[in-house]
Amino acid sequence: MMIPRPATGTCAAAALAIGLAAAMVPQPAAAQAPPGMSAIDKSNPAASKQDTNLRPHPTPPTVTPLDKLPIDKLRLPAGFKAEVWSHGHPGARTMVRGDKGTIFMGTRLIGRVYAITEKDGKREVKVIVQGLTQPNGLAFKDGSLYVFAIHRVFRYDNIEDKLDNPGTPVELTDKFNLPPEIHHNWKYVAFGPDGKLYVQVGANCNICEINPGIHGQIRRYNADGSGMEIVARGVRNTVGFDWHPQTGELWFTDHGRDWAGNDGPEDELNVIAKGNEGAFFGFPYCHANGVPDPDIRIPNACAGVTLPAATTGPHAAGLGIKFYTGSMFPKEYQNVAFIARRGSWNREQKFGYDVITARTDGAKATLTPFMTGLLDEKANEFHGRPTYLFQMADGSLLVSDEQNGAIYRITYSGK
Amino acid sequence: MLSCWWRPLVLGLAAAAFCADATLAQTTEERIKLCGACHGEDGNSRMPNIPSLAGQPEFFLVHQLILFREGVRKVAGMNELLKGLKDDDLIALAKHFTALTPKPSEEQADPALVKRGEALIEPMRCVSCHLPSLDGQEQMPRLAKQRIDYLIHALKQFRDNARSGADTLMSAVVIGVSDDDLAALAHYAASR
Repeated sequence: MMIPRPATGTCAAAALAIGLAAAMVPQPAAAQAPPGMSAIDKSNPAASKQDTNLRPHPTPPTVTPLDKLPIDKLRLPAGFKAEVWSHGHPGARTMVRGDKGTIFMGTRLIGRVYAITEKDGKREVKVIVQGLTQPNGLAFKDGSLYVFAIHRVFRYDNIEDKLDNPGTPVELTDKFNLPPEIHHNWKYVAFGPDGKLYVQVGANCNICEINPGIHGQIRRYNADGSGMEIVARGVRNTVGFDWHPQTGELWFTDHGRDWAGNDGPEDELNVIAKGNEGAFFGFPYCHANGVPDPDIRIPNACAGVTLPAATTGPHAAGLGIKFYTGSMFPKEYQNVAFIARRGSWNREQKFGYDVITARTDGAKATLTPFMTGLLDEKANEFHGRPTYLFQMADGSLLVSDEQNGAIYRITYSGK
Repeated sequence: MLSCWWRPLVLGLAAAAFCADATLAQTTEERIKLCGACHGEDGNSRMPNIPSLAGQPEFFLVHQLILFREGVRKVAGMNELLKGLKDDDLIALAKHFTALTPKPSEEQADPALVKRGEALIEPMRCVSCHLPSLDGQEQMPRLAKQRIDYLIHALKQFRDNARSGADTLMSAVVIGVSDDDLAALAHYAASR
């Protein structure tokens, strides 16, 4: 189904097109830079000394055929295996599971939400919603699928009973009242152990003075959008978080700024320690492990800033994080976080494109490579981009690959 | 089934709007004709606010066509026309328009604005994505020889958060940029 579209009939379409055309007429100069919005990006091209041709890599909106998936390139520690679990769903990113076993998948540019069901050991993929703006934020609770598309929020009740016709969702956009700016505002959302819905609001720029009352936050809400609280501030753009199974503390990945050099500032893995709710994580003044911003300078830039548990590499783009609690992997993986790194664009020598583990110790973490092989360092080319992780009931781990529109399943047999 | 073309005058600007039954165009050749009615038979638009497609990067065209088909990028006429087409149909259209030669439109670039636009190109990092030639690449469109009025329209949509399915980086780049500077960028880019 399509989410509310401006036109249904062909002649209504024509009428609307005329309306659009009217809107195209040049308007007299209006007031610029709405209040609360950041000014233009403050990065300094000359100072960063990076190749000015660096640019984001395109994400194919079309299907990657099964025989072109890079499954043979994946490298894992001894005893682990990877297989293609599902494919043919371009833009594969976030994954949540319904109570009845459906895996729902969110995307960015292609605007779809997929439902993946299992039948006779095979996966069936359906597009259940399309036409949304970057529906990356998915959460599931009490039979309902929550879909966050930038600032628009929809709830599909009893969704697993009507995958073929999800019907009209309950729109919660006004309740959540999220900012409409799109940059760094594709959402990551998840229900916490406290039953609250945690929602990211990124900085709407690469590097700029944001309005700290609006952007650069992690918030939590009641499921109906009421009772908003800010749990982290000064967060440039987290698009993945999870709660430590033992401490209950929230751990989140965060992307460092671009155009300040190939080697940094590095991305971050952060923790909101007990009693530190609402802490300030430094953006835009202080990055990584205490690096003052080169373009927005203030005295004592890192004073009062909660520094990361670990830095996770330059431009590596750590996205999904999942603490492992399954019984399939060896004991040493219990309560260890897996992190998918989508890989760099703003770096001459490419970096990331893998899954790493983070072993946490209090408010610190040690990182180790886990799933590699998608980056060909010699050729400076990549073959896939891991984005999110999901632990199945049997303890196997799903990894989504946005570049190839596929999900890989990682199992452990010890052989 | 009706296939009607309207070319109403709206505030002095000709705006193309149509209610066409896309099923009437069954083949790629027929679809190309339908596209050409607005975007120019040779892919160079002569209609105000309608973009030229000639010489656009193939990836860019495929991507945008898919976004139109899916209803992510909302332009009513385009959404209707592309409904139900397969990826391969869209790829065929993209290949056709990519291969055509871009030509400048009939609009007159203002030399003062061109000069001002040139000065903005470096600090705004336009060429990182769109190339020094502004020919575009991959998912990033050609700006050179595009229509000035369309470029202004598109830049304002990016700035004002009025373009659904827009590239988010592009929106961030033009946040807070004045109408005059957007016009300067458009005049410069179109003149390349």
